Amino acid sequence: MLRSGSFTPGSEPILRVAHISKAFGGVRALVDASLDLYPGEIHALLGENGAGKSTLLKALAGVHQIDSGEITLNGEEFIQGSTRMSIEQGVAVIYQEPNLFPDLTLAENVFIGRQPTKGKFVDWEKMQSESKKLFDGLGIPLNPLAKARGLSIADQQIVEIAKALSTNAQVIVMDEPTAALSAKEVERLFEVARRLKAQNQAVVFVSHRLDEVFELCQRMTVMRDGSTVDTKMVADSSEAEVIQMMVGREVSELFPKIDVETGDSVLTVNNLGASGNFEGISFEVKAGEILGIAGLVGSGRSEIMRAIFGVDGYDHGTIQLLGKFVPKKNPAKSMAMGMALVPEDRRQQGLFMPTSIARNASITVLKRLSKGLVLSRKKEEQTAITWGEVLQLKFARIADSVDKLSGGNQQKVVLAKWLATNPTLLIVDEPTRGIDVGTKSEVHRLLSQKAKDGMAILMVSSELPEILGMSDRVIVMRQGRMVAHFERSDATPSAVIAAATGSGSQA
Amino acid sequence: MNLPGQLMRARELPVFAALVIVMGLTSVAVPHFFSAKVAVDLFLGVSVIALLAIAQTFVIVMRHIDLSVGSTVGFAAFLIGDSYSKGFGLEVSMLLAIGLGVTVGAVNGFLVAYLKLPSLVVTLASLYIVRGIFNEFASGETIIESEVPPVVNWLGLNRLFGVPYLFIIGLVVLLIAGLVMKRVKAARDLYAIGSNPAAAELAGIPVARRVLFAFMSTGALTGLAGALLLGRFNSANPNSGLGLELLVVAACVVGGVTIAGGAGSVFGAFFGALLLQGITLSIGALGIPQFWQQAVNGSLIIGAIALDRYLSTRVKTTTIMGSK
Repeated sequence: MLRSGSFTPGSEPILRVAHISKAFGGVRALVDASLDLYPGEIHALLGENGAGKSTLLKALAGVHQIDSGEITLNGEEFIQGSTRMSIEQGVAVIYQEPNLFPDLTLAENVFIGRQPTKGKFVDWEKMQSESKKLFDGLGIPLNPLAKARGLSIADQQIVEIAKALSTNAQVIVMDEPTAALSAKEVERLFEVARRLKAQNQAVVFVSHRLDEVFELCQRMTVMRDGSTVDTKMVADSSEAEVIQMMVGREVSELFPKIDVETGDSVLTVNNLGASGNFEGISFEVKAGEILGIAGLVGSGRSEIMRAIFGVDGYDHGTIQLLGKFVPKKNPAKSMAMGMALVPEDRRQQGLFMPTSIARNASITVLKRLSKGLVLSRKKEEQTAITWGEVLQLKFARIADSVDKLSGGNQQKVVLAKWLATNPTLLIVDEPTRGIDVGTKSEVHRLLSQKAKDGMAILMVSSELPEILGMSDRVIVMRQGRMVAHFERSDATPSAVIAAATGSGSQA
Repeated sequence: MNLPGQLMRARELPVFAALVIVMGLTSVAVPHFFSAKVAVDLFLGVSVIALLAIAQTFVIVMRHIDLSVGSTVGFAAFLIGDSYSKGFGLEVSMLLAIGLGVTVGAVNGFLVAYLKLPSLVVTLASLYIVRGIFNEFASGETIIESEVPPVVNWLGLNRLFGVPYLFIIGLVVLLIAGLVMKRVKAARDLYAIGSNPAAAELAGIPVARRVLFAFMSTGALTGLAGALLLGRFNSANPNSGLGLELLVVAACVVGGVTIAGGAGSVFGAFFGALLLQGITLSIGALGIPQFWQQAVNGSLIIGAIALDRYLSTRVKTTTIMGSK
């Protein structure tokens, strides 16, 4: 297999992104991002979560409008309006989870909205033969007459790529395309990408897996905190160098984990496994301890949390809480035993959005708030207000529905709801995703305080500073397995990233 | 592509087979059941529902629904007779009926497409509103045979080579609608919208405009169905069309038009209507009490949905050499 291959940039880049910025409210997602892209190259875009890669991609896709800076395509100004306009100008973005029409045929999925016509009518024969040509050209002979329903993610991506080619895309952007693929599927996608390169297409490849970048790409651009750090030839750099560029700073003092004398073991997980999701998971969490679970999205972290809490089942292994076995698939029992799970997606899994703050915050402790069968509304509101004060929740009325709150305050309601149960083990999955910095540090202060009070906390996070700042110990997951275990003192950014991305000796 | 293979996979096949089986079994049980007279009963009885089911398909494939048709079709029938008897002439009377349907459709469509209100609630409301206005307009009057335009009357009573004209009108509309739904770009967008609304927006489909237009088309055909309803009974009154909306939705569902959107055809909806009507006739011929009919219809709906679910879960996920 050829390693990265040689590449000499031509004279003119096809796409030039120059010093663009973009802010959402007070949050600056892009500060000063630049990217040059030449025909016939596969260009890696690298950076931690929150580095601004997605915002840059969405600007190219026409989803976001940039605040300042310049984007040119073929030397002309790139017009940002809608996804449709981006496609028409020749920029196609392929997302990690493609968005196909399950009931339509693959041919129609490729050509929807742009079907070839004969007179006034859609020319189905031509549509099918053209799609077939595109699929064959990519080396993946999918059946254009098949429905998209049931297609694997890998095949769905192929359909999206064919769709991009059918629009005469000059720039094809793949946003973490390999995250949900198996090894064989990744290899096949690489073949497709190399074909595109050979056809002089320009490809942007976003991935967290450095080994993939080094195998496939010719040049790379590293982003950090909304700005471009550097663009380099892949052949001239090492993985260690790239990691250094991605991390590049000290962990801030935003995360005040108080040092605590840890107590007895609270949670013991022994050799837990669920086929296809995770295997050989063993660890323990002690009272007063925060155990951080790091790893890329899709590495099996959330699945393990869900299995521990009893949302999903598992194939083998045991879970003990304070020495007692936790039954499989029984969240109500897990709760009764003293567990709480703050899920990763608060809107879908954590809250009843159209329901009041009071209802949401007290839903876990209704039994305590009732007299016989009758629920006391007053006690319900009192509980919510008490916790609202502890968490410095900002709201107009406790009877307002939670969908009126900001993301940060919604997250506080989810925390309130679980802290109200006074759990011995608190599992938090991405506790500060998408909330502002101020609220973030409040949440961290609270978690730290709870640990000091003797709660055992299991924290999944994709944000490296959060993991490193908050955890007493860190476990790193990769592809469903525990690949590293660090004490707080040994957990350096590069060590954790190297383990999570499988670079270096583990690759 | 081979034609037999395509036929076997067609969503319309099970319902067509069911129709043949029902009629066949009844013929065996009741000698002389299958006669020209039964065929005429079947075709005549089904024409209004079949036309409305074709129209309903436009909205159901978008993952929407239009319950207002029961009131609109009755009002349209009444309006034709009323305006004709007031001397407006056939053309104007027909235009008024179709205009009524388009107007109701436009209001429904606007509320659903632009104000993003759920179609179930919007059209449930307009079902009542249109019926209310209709009752006020009719103020207890009835359209009698002498007020029905003679052409409409004639079409309701006569046949071409033994096939009732009302059914032929339904067939013509079916063929046109079938062609449009399969081969016109804008109509294909309706399937895309129902299959994955978010992706439809991302693909640059003008979703709101399509939704509005589909509701207006449903309304237009509902107005036309008003003429068929008038011709079929040669009369109309404030209760005309009452409750038809559910029968229409039932016909679509039984005919394989998925309530979750994205799949199904006007042919399926048409066969679905035929099947429901066929069962009604069979039950009559077999001497089974009529009230069983509704229970059978209900069972058919559940059967259709269960079959649909079974067929869609049977789809195997593709993987590369079973890897994962």
